Amino acid sequence: MSDLIPYLLQGLATGLLYALMALGFMLIVGVMQVINLAHGALFALGAYVAVLGVLPRDADEVAPGLGLWAVAVLVAPLAAAGAGAVLELGMRRTYGKDALYGLLFTFGAAIVIEEGIRLVWQSAGYGVLPPAAVGGAFTVGGVRYLLYQFVAAGVAGAAIVLLWLFIERTRTGALIKAGAHDAEMVRALGVDLGRLRLLVFALGCGLAGLAGVIMAPLRGLRPHMGADVVIPAFVIIVLGGVGSFRGSVVAGLLVGVVESVAGRYVTAWSQLAMYLLLIAVVVWRPRGLSGRISVLER
Amino acid sequence: MHRPGLPSILAVIALAAVLPAVWRSGADVQAEILIWATYALGYNLLLGCTGLPSFGHGAFVGLGGYACGLAQQKLGAGLIGSLAAAVAAAALLAGLCAVLLAGRRGIYYSLLTIAIGQVCWFTAQHWHGLTGGEGGLQGLVRPPLDLGVAGIALADNRAFAWLCAGIFVVVLLGLWRLIASPFGMALQAVKQNELRAQFIGYPVALLKSASLVISAAIAGLAGGLLALKDHSAYPNVMDLHQSGQVVMMVLVGGGLVHFLGPVIGAVVYFGARDLLGGATEHWLLWYGLLFMAVVLFKPEGIGGLLRPTQTPPPEPLPGSPTPLPEAGRS
Amino acid sequence: MSAALMTVAAVHKRFGRRVVLEEIDLAFPEGSVTGIIGPNGAGKTTCFNVLTGRFRPDRGSITFAGEDITGCSPRAIAGRGIARSFQQMNLFDDFSALDNVRLAVPSIRRRPFDAWGAVAGDASATGKAQAVLARVGLSGKEHVGAKHLAYGDRRALEIAVALAAEPRLLFLDEPCAGLGTAGIARLSALVASLKGAITLVIIEHDLRFLFAFADQVAVIHWGQVIARGTPAELRADPWARAGALGDAVESVPEAAP
Repeated sequence: MSDLIPYLLQGLATGLLYALMALGFMLIVGVMQVINLAHGALFALGAYVAVLGVLPRDADEVAPGLGLWAVAVLVAPLAAAGAGAVLELGMRRTYGKDALYGLLFTFGAAIVIEEGIRLVWQSAGYGVLPPAAVGGAFTVGGVRYLLYQFVAAGVAGAAIVLLWLFIERTRTGALIKAGAHDAEMVRALGVDLGRLRLLVFALGCGLAGLAGVIMAPLRGLRPHMGADVVIPAFVIIVLGGVGSFRGSVVAGLLVGVVESVAGRYVTAWSQLAMYLLLIAVVVWRPRGLSGRISVLER
Repeated sequence: MHRPGLPSILAVIALAAVLPAVWRSGADVQAEILIWATYALGYNLLLGCTGLPSFGHGAFVGLGGYACGLAQQKLGAGLIGSLAAAVAAAALLAGLCAVLLAGRRGIYYSLLTIAIGQVCWFTAQHWHGLTGGEGGLQGLVRPPLDLGVAGIALADNRAFAWLCAGIFVVVLLGLWRLIASPFGMALQAVKQNELRAQFIGYPVALLKSASLVISAAIAGLAGGLLALKDHSAYPNVMDLHQSGQVVMMVLVGGGLVHFLGPVIGAVVYFGARDLLGGATEHWLLWYGLLFMAVVLFKPEGIGGLLRPTQTPPPEPLPGSPTPLPEAGRS
Repeated sequence: MSAALMTVAAVHKRFGRRVVLEEIDLAFPEGSVTGIIGPNGAGKTTCFNVLTGRFRPDRGSITFAGEDITGCSPRAIAGRGIARSFQQMNLFDDFSALDNVRLAVPSIRRRPFDAWGAVAGDASATGKAQAVLARVGLSGKEHVGAKHLAYGDRRALEIAVALAAEPRLLFLDEPCAGLGTAGIARLSALVASLKGAITLVIIEHDLRFLFAFADQVAVIHWGQVIARGTPAELRADPWARAGALGDAVESVPEAAP
């Protein structure tokens, strides 16, 4: 049993990154009732713009400095948020219509963004090294761990905490929570629903971009990389219950652990575990672990 | 959905028949368009007719391709046999999926189909023993079409394009007949108002499942033909992006409102690929933008332009009131 | 009156902790017209929903033509000859009026998996559909798309779809809602023509309309039947007057014989 511990730890670390990704996805679903199929593409866009725009060309051989990395970590969410804002403005025409149109629109956007990435940065993959200061490894209990994996998890965790503080402790955050429950009521309070939606969508996309740049040293860059993270995001928000912050974090950790532990037993099939988990959850417990009705059922 | 009259259908058939005859080059592309048009028509039975948005239909296409290839390689099946295997395998998978999908619609339906599609794609990628993994099944041949009295060799691309044209015509006519039948009308009723269809007495869940199975069977057939065309079967057709391609095609072509929309969409898609693709390697980006514009501004697509103008209603009865908002609950 | 075609015994329904129907006892004699009245939110439509199979009652039983149909699905109930119209109209908006009605004709409805026969070419079904449309006053508008019809015509089509099923028992949920005098006159003519041939149960707020036809009326309030009787009896009933109807009852003129 104890040989599972490394997988558990790594699973938890990855889980925090998944949770960060999923929270952005969940904000958009919860407040705007839109499934953003472009979320993965924005994850990729954030990573590409930051890594290939900010970091030097040889970043896959020579570890960039912490300062440059800090800039990259700031640029990624901004780029993704910007693209998200443009998307949201375009998507306004689909509000009020069948939710399928929003889904189709973001699907198209996912394709366009991915092709755009191929256009600018070619279809080949890129590697990138984490900052030199945290690029090493350490050994505990005879197992070698990558330091960056936990630094990344720490950054993700910090971002999650900041997000939580934003939603729970600021007026705008309260409006976002209220908007998730009852958009009409928020509008009746005199709040500009359009601006709120724009903010939420951009914020959600920004979180995806942030996750992208943080995960880049761990997973590398490929134009199609977004597709690998969209499914975990689905699983997490359905499992955790749409609209539940805590649910998303817990589900994110759970998914990370499941993927990691499944990978221990049948290496290549850890991804499959993800898809099967999604099917199992949607078929048997579409309301998530809490059992509450979600906006997806309206 | 607008059902065109016989003249339009005959015109399409004529085009499909004449094209391989007069346009002697690019038989491979012709076959590809015909196969995708067949696939899209079958797909639209589910989306445009029944209102169920599947984003995982590539799984049926891919499975059809593998079933066709395996039937040929492991069972020595001929043309009919391997294509029948493709149809049967896809229909079987659809039957299983129907159980999982029972009672779902809208976003949940889409999510589940995405997940199922990804599971199939993943399985195809990794089950080397059966599918050849990423390399796929290679070395498929095109068995001759055995008509009893004579056999028609299909190794020549043009002959194969004729076969695809023939199958396309059969599917076109079959579906054209189907949407005017009680079954077809019932599916459209389910799309428009599932509740009322239920209360009138229609078996809504079974109807949806039947729609899925038929559309999957057609997708499987298309998959088998694609495998024969390319002499190989790959997993990538099961990917979400590839599954999404048929959705885009059908929408741009106007499948939501016009029976021929999927055919138009297939032609436009490949036309774009050939025209734009000649100019830029990233033509999909422009097609994607076109698709997004269609979703925003003209979801009825090109087919929406081809519908006859709606019959104007006669003058309302004197004394009819102006419409009131719907009464509240009692 | 003749034997009850449908009997509802002690039906009880709750959603979560909210009880919406309590101890509902009703009987609909064959060939009669029963009115159901009461304020908004009283549970009238929920009652219809339970009787037509949309919801399963928690307690109680529903009997139709001697058979227990409690908990049957809407589809099974439709198959036995029970049809309903909806308060918020449920039409097939992309279909023409004729297609809307034709779908409900039994000969079409009974073969939902017939993928070959052409519905439009079915002369018998088309004839029946056209007859029903004529009955509700929509002749000449058969090929108009349902979404293009005027409100009064949509209301008529809503009933036509239910009628097309050739039901023995027809539930009408607020058929007069939003109609002007001409529309109500059309509806009255229709109900008069149906009376005796079909058993009708009608939820309505328009008491003048309802009391002209109803053989019996039940008042539902707070999920319970608080009063029942003939229209004349209800005019005298203190519960009906004070609770559900208020002074409206007084203003309803005696029905013309």
